[in-house]
Amino acid sequence: MVVDDSASIRQVVGIALRGAGYQVIEARDGRDALSKLTGDKIHLIISDVNMPNMDGITFVKELKKNPRYKFTPVIMLTTEAGKDKMAEGKAAGAKAWVVKPFQPPQMLDAVSKLIM
Amino acid sequence: MDDATQTFIQEADELLVQMEDALLALEDDPGNEELINSVFRAMHTIKGAAGIFGFDPIVTFTHPVETVLDTVRSGARSIDSELSALLLECKDHTARLVAEVTASELSDDTLEQGAALLHRLTGEAPASVKDQVEGAAEEASGPANENWLISLEFKADAFRNGIDPVSFINYLSNMGEVVDLVLHDDRLPPADEADPESCYLGFDIVFRGEVAKSDIASVFEFAEDDCDIRILPPDDIEQHFLELVDELPEDHTRRLGEMLLEVGAITSHELSESLQIQITQDGTPPEDEESEKPPSAPVGEILVQRKAVSEAVVNKALGRQAQERQKATQEARLIRVNSDKLGRLINLVGELVISNAAIKLMTEKHGLNDMNEVIASAEHLIEEIRDNALQLRMVQIGETFSRFRRVVRDVSKELDKEIELVINGGDTELDKTVVEKINDPLTHLVRNALDHGIESPRERARQGKPAKGTLELNAYHDSGHIVIQIKDDGAGLDKDKIRAKAEAIGMIKPDQVLSDKELYQLIFAPGLSTKEKANNLSGRGVGMDVVRRNIEALRGIIDIDTELGAGTTVTIHLPLTLAIIDGFMVGAENERYIIPLSMVEECVEMDSGDWELSEERRYVNLRGEVLPYLRLTSFLEIPTSDSARDKRESLVIVRIGNNKAGFVVDELHGELQTVIKPLGKIFQGFKGISGSTVLGSGEVALILDVQGLIHTAMAQMGVH
Repeated sequence: MVVDDSASIRQVVGIALRGAGYQVIEARDGRDALSKLTGDKIHLIISDVNMPNMDGITFVKELKKNPRYKFTPVIMLTTEAGKDKMAEGKAAGAKAWVVKPFQPPQMLDAVSKLIM
Repeated sequence: MDDATQTFIQEADELLVQMEDALLALEDDPGNEELINSVFRAMHTIKGAAGIFGFDPIVTFTHPVETVLDTVRSGARSIDSELSALLLECKDHTARLVAEVTASELSDDTLEQGAALLHRLTGEAPASVKDQVEGAAEEASGPANENWLISLEFKADAFRNGIDPVSFINYLSNMGEVVDLVLHDDRLPPADEADPESCYLGFDIVFRGEVAKSDIASVFEFAEDDCDIRILPPDDIEQHFLELVDELPEDHTRRLGEMLLEVGAITSHELSESLQIQITQDGTPPEDEESEKPPSAPVGEILVQRKAVSEAVVNKALGRQAQERQKATQEARLIRVNSDKLGRLINLVGELVISNAAIKLMTEKHGLNDMNEVIASAEHLIEEIRDNALQLRMVQIGETFSRFRRVVRDVSKELDKEIELVINGGDTELDKTVVEKINDPLTHLVRNALDHGIESPRERARQGKPAKGTLELNAYHDSGHIVIQIKDDGAGLDKDKIRAKAEAIGMIKPDQVLSDKELYQLIFAPGLSTKEKANNLSGRGVGMDVVRRNIEALRGIIDIDTELGAGTTVTIHLPLTLAIIDGFMVGAENERYIIPLSMVEECVEMDSGDWELSEERRYVNLRGEVLPYLRLTSFLEIPTSDSARDKRESLVIVRIGNNKAGFVVDELHGELQTVIKPLGKIFQGFKGISGSTVLGSGEVALILDVQGLIHTAMAQMGVH
C-alpha cells in the first residue's frame, strides 16, 4: 500500500512496484488508507509523513493497533528536513525510512530488504 | 588576485619544489617511503586546495597523478626512471596549470598536454574525473578473498516492528554468497513462556562477497534498532584497514572515530552507538571524545569491546593520530615572516650596538664606575639579541643544494653523461640573503662542472675511470666562514690550453711568468673559455667573471684547484652574515681599523721575540714560519709621524682558507661588535677596505678587506 497525498509520487512508486511484480493499493492520506484496509493481506506499507486529514505517524500508530497489521513493515517517506520526525516514527513502529527525493531503484531496494 | 589565491599559488609552489626534491632523491633511494609520501602529499594537497578554490582543471589533472602515486605507495607500482621522468613532467605541468588557472589564462594547449601526459602516466585513455573517483572508491573497499562474519541478534520487538530477519538475509544473498548460516535459538524460552509475537533468534552468517563493511551495514540499516549487528571483516580486509589508516590524508584534527569511519573499519551506526555508551557511562559529551578523562572508557576501547573493530586497527589509528598531532604542533611552531621585517630588526640591532658602545665610552670617560656592571650586562644582552636576530635569517643550504639534483639530472640526460650528485653538509646554515645570491653563481659552476668537467662515459672508460661521474656539493664551516665546494672528478683544467687562449686574446704576454694558481684564476677573467664550441649550457666565456663578481659582492672569495685528468674543485668562502660581525680593532697612526675577528689567528707583540721582520725581502719570520706581511700605514699611505718610529708595533696574523699573512699595526684595541656599513660609491674601488663602521665615540673605523690585503702581501713577497 502506498500512502501519499501527492498523486505523482503515488504514481511513480506504484509504477516501480508494479514493475517489480507487486500489487499496489494507493491511498491519499492516513484516513483514506485506514479505510482501505479491508482485510486483504498487506505485506508492506509505504507512507508519507506530512499529509492532510491524518498524518503518517498517526496512521502508523493506528495501524499497529490492528492485530491484523501490527507486524506489517512500514517504510516512511521523509525529506531531509523532516528527519527529526524519524524518532517519533520509529517509536510508532515504522523502522524503515526513505529520504525524498528518491529514485525508484532506491525504493525497490528498501522494499526488498523488508519483504523478500 | 585575492590573498587566498596568492596563498594557494605559494603553497602549490612550495609543494611542487618538495615533490621535485623527493622525486630526485628517490632516484638514489627508490624504496624510501617518506619520500614517496612526500611526492604523494604534494599532489594530494594541491588537489585538495584546488578543489576548494574551484580550480577544476587542476583537480582533473592532479587526481589521476595522485591515484598513480597511491599505487606506488601501496607498493603495486614502483618508481623507475621512466615513471620518475613522467612524474617530473607532471610536476612541471601542475606548475603550469597553477599559473594559468589562477591567472584565468588556461589554454587548450595546456589541457591537451595534460591529457596526453595522463595518458602516458596511467596507460589508459583519458577518463573523466568521476570515473577515476569511482575507481578509487572501489579500490578502497578492497577485494575480499576470505569471508565476512556477520552476527545478528534480533531483539524481542523485531517482529512487532515489521522486521523480518529472513528478508534481510535474502537481500544479503543478492550481494554475494551466504556460505554458511548458524541459527542461535539459545534465547528461546520454554514453549509455554514464549511470546509468539517476540523474536528470540540470532544468526551467525558467513558471507563471501567483494563489498565494503558499510555495504553490509546498509543491508541491515532498517534493523539497526531491533538487532545487535556485528560485522567482522576477513583477515585481508583487516590488513587493508591497517594500510588505509596509514594512507589517510593528513588532518590532525580528525578524531579516532572519524578515522575508523573513513577507512570503513566501523559503520556510522557502530560509532554513534559507542559514543552513546560513552556518554551514558559518565556523561561525557561526544565532543570530548578525545579528552578521554578517566574513568570514561575511550571510544576506541568501547568499539573493541563491542567487537566493531579489532584492537590492532584502533591502535594503528591512535598511533597515526598521535603522529599527526605531533607534526601539527611542530608546524604550528613555524611562523612566516616577511624578510624585510627581519632586515629592519637587524638594522635596529646594529644601531643598538653602536649606541651601547657610545654609552660605554661615556661612562668610561666620566669615570662612572658604578655603572660598569649594568653596562656589562646590557652589552651581554645586546650581544645575545644580535646573535638571535642574525640567527633568524639563517637558513640551511640543503634546499639550495638539492635543487641541483634536477639540474644534474636534466643536464646529464641532455649531454648523455652519467653523473651522480653527492651532497654533504646540507644542514650548514647561512644568511638567507647570501643563500639567495649564491644560487646563480652556483648554478653556473655546477653547469660548468657537468659540461666541461665530467667527460662522456666512453671517454671516462678510456681513461680507466668509472663510467659514472661524480659531482660533489659540500658545505661546511671554517673559521667564521661558510665554505661551499663544487667538486667534480672530471677532466680538470688544462693550463696549457688556458695559457694559449689567454695569450691569443692578449690577456697575458707570452713571456709572462705565472704560477699555476694565477693561471687558473685567469678563467675568472672575462672572455676566456677553452671550450672550442659553446653550447647552451656553458662555454661562452661569459659567466665565470660574473661568478667571481657575484661572490666578491658577498665579501666572499673563490678559489680553484684542479688536476688535469683528475677533476676540479671550486671552493667558495663566504662570510656567515652581511650585517654585524665580531670585529677586532687595531690602530695605526691614530686611525682605527677593524679586522673580522674570525679571520684573526693571533696577535704577537714586537718585543715578544717571536717574530722577525725582513724589510727588504718583505717577509716576516714567525717562529720559523715565513709569512708575507703588510705594514698598514705604508700600504694605506698614511704619513707616519716621527714619534711612530719608536712605537711598539704588533703583528696580527690573519688567515683565510690556506692563505696566511701578518699585518703590522701600532695598537691593538681588542674585540668590538661591528655593524657593517657599506662604503659610499666613491670608495668602492678602494683597495684594502671593504666597509666601514661607526664607533661608540661617533668616529668612523674602516673595515679591512683581509682577502685583498693577503693577496697584496703575497704578491709583494713574491709567493707563488
